Amino acid sequence: MAASNSAGLTTRSLKLIHRLEDSLLVGLLLAMLFLAVAQILLRNLLDVGLVWADPLLRIMLLWLGLLGALAASRDNKHISIDILTRLLPARVRLLSHCFTALFTVCISGLIAYHSGRFVVAEFEAHATAVMGVPAWCFEIIIPLAFALIALRYLLHFGLHVSALRGKTAPP
Amino acid sequence: MKMLILLIIALLGAPLFTVIGASALLGFSNGGIDLQVMAIEIYRLAETPVLIAIPLFTFAGYLLGESRAPHRLVSVSNALLNWLPGGLAIVALLSCALFTAFTGASGVTIVALGALLYPALKEAGYGDRFNLGLITSSGSLGLLFAPALPLILYGVVAQQLGLKQPVSIDDLFRAGILPGLLMLTLLALWSMWQKRIPLRPAVKTSWRETLQTLRESAWELPLPFVVLGGIYSGYFAVSEAAAITALYVLIVEVLIRREVPLANLARIIREAMVMVGGILIILALSLALTNYLVDTEVPTRLFAAISSHIDSKWTFLMALNVFLLLLGMMLDIFSALVIVVPIILPIAISYGINPVHLGIIFLANMQIGYFTPPVGMNLFIASYRFERPVMELYRATLPFFFILLAAVLIITYWPALSLVLLDKK
Repeated sequence: MAASNSAGLTTRSLKLIHRLEDSLLVGLLLAMLFLAVAQILLRNLLDVGLVWADPLLRIMLLWLGLLGALAASRDNKHISIDILTRLLPARVRLLSHCFTALFTVCISGLIAYHSGRFVVAEFEAHATAVMGVPAWCFEIIIPLAFALIALRYLLHFGLHVSALRGKTAPP
Repeated sequence: MKMLILLIIALLGAPLFTVIGASALLGFSNGGIDLQVMAIEIYRLAETPVLIAIPLFTFAGYLLGESRAPHRLVSVSNALLNWLPGGLAIVALLSCALFTAFTGASGVTIVALGALLYPALKEAGYGDRFNLGLITSSGSLGLLFAPALPLILYGVVAQQLGLKQPVSIDDLFRAGILPGLLMLTLLALWSMWQKRIPLRPAVKTSWRETLQTLRESAWELPLPFVVLGGIYSGYFAVSEAAAITALYVLIVEVLIRREVPLANLARIIREAMVMVGGILIILALSLALTNYLVDTEVPTRLFAAISSHIDSKWTFLMALNVFLLLLGMMLDIFSALVIVVPIILPIAISYGINPVHLGIIFLANMQIGYFTPPVGMNLFIASYRFERPVMELYRATLPFFFILLAAVLIITYWPALSLVLLDKK
């Protein structure tokens, strides 16, 4: 009873997180689209431009790219070479999935850790980016996205291991 | 040794960004550089304005693919071209090329247009094998035409290298025109050869019908003209063209035609952004790796090693063709671009090859790689889509493979074909 309750809670909170991510992606893309078009109209019709629009657009691209990469980790949809794994027998393939998932956890974790140190340094140095906004506000997405990617692949790793031990169907 | 281990990890199917990230981390830590630098390198995504075009064009492409625009694209080309011998096959080639140029060659073309063209070609009396081959090999046709994402990405990567000869994206767009047309023409000739006796269309399209078809597509018709005209005349920057295209498509397909329900918009954006994220994260980490490679003069040393075996430009190009064909079978075009271009571009320049020409050679090779047996990606997409064994597709695409291979060789050894349209400054 308690187990199924907590499982239900996990699924529900996962769903909530997914929805939050999706809304962020949709919001960012549409905002980027409208801001870019507004900038074109202003420039061509009124011959003025928003000073902050171009840097902001580029920062939005960084966020969109990393959040997109995070969304790709949800279903393990990252670009990879799959010629070899397609030919492997099912059990060996599962084993190689376990290994590559763990590898992804390590590398993403390392990148998250080191870029996190950078963001902390920027915070302490009071570095500013566009329009006096502290730089760390924009940079924070780098450690955040990589940490969450690492977490997601830890989840994939767990699922694959439990499939390998025959407890669940392969994901 | 370390590189060999990473290669094995990549072949085991690890996400490519981790393999590239690991190489960069290794490189920096061997060089005694604080690994905080990774954040600075990744942040470079936010310092390259043209990248904004990537999510916007991808979104527009996914949206068009969900609407009935592919259907209208086929009927318009058909209404205009069905008097030609081999008309319908040429319709297929042109529609695929245009659609791929606008959607960035991700296999979407086969899924979106194949379903329409395959039965239509069959009805017109073409052989089954020809149809399968035509559609599978057309899935990557058109990536040499603006505003195809691979061209933009090549320009971005080349600009990061700090070359003496700058590579502008506008130049790449111009350079792709004639080689792209060469591929189209050769394939069109092959299609006409299939139907030497021009079968009259059962019902000849009247002027009225043609006009009606055009009117049905009235909303989409201006799009290619505005975008291509704007880009080629230099009126729009690429990222501006992308913004206008995305907004226009959004308004037309969702608000005016209402073919894509508003409720589906979130899912479409998510799907498009998953693809964009997958590309951008690889790009970000490759930028880090590239910086390290350039700092340690890897391309220079590679050039020294290669030039002791290969002394002429032409032998180098031959070796390059073989290498790129193999690469195109293994890697998708986007990863191949960001990983391999930083290494081979400096080497190619040392052999006296124009960087813009190299871009066209690179993409033309990659285009064939999409359907080179045994593992080209489009072969599997087509096999899945048309429910045919992959072996059958190998045989079906073979003539197309050789035709396009001939085109690639012409493109490689005749630089003027790519370079003649560039502004002479």
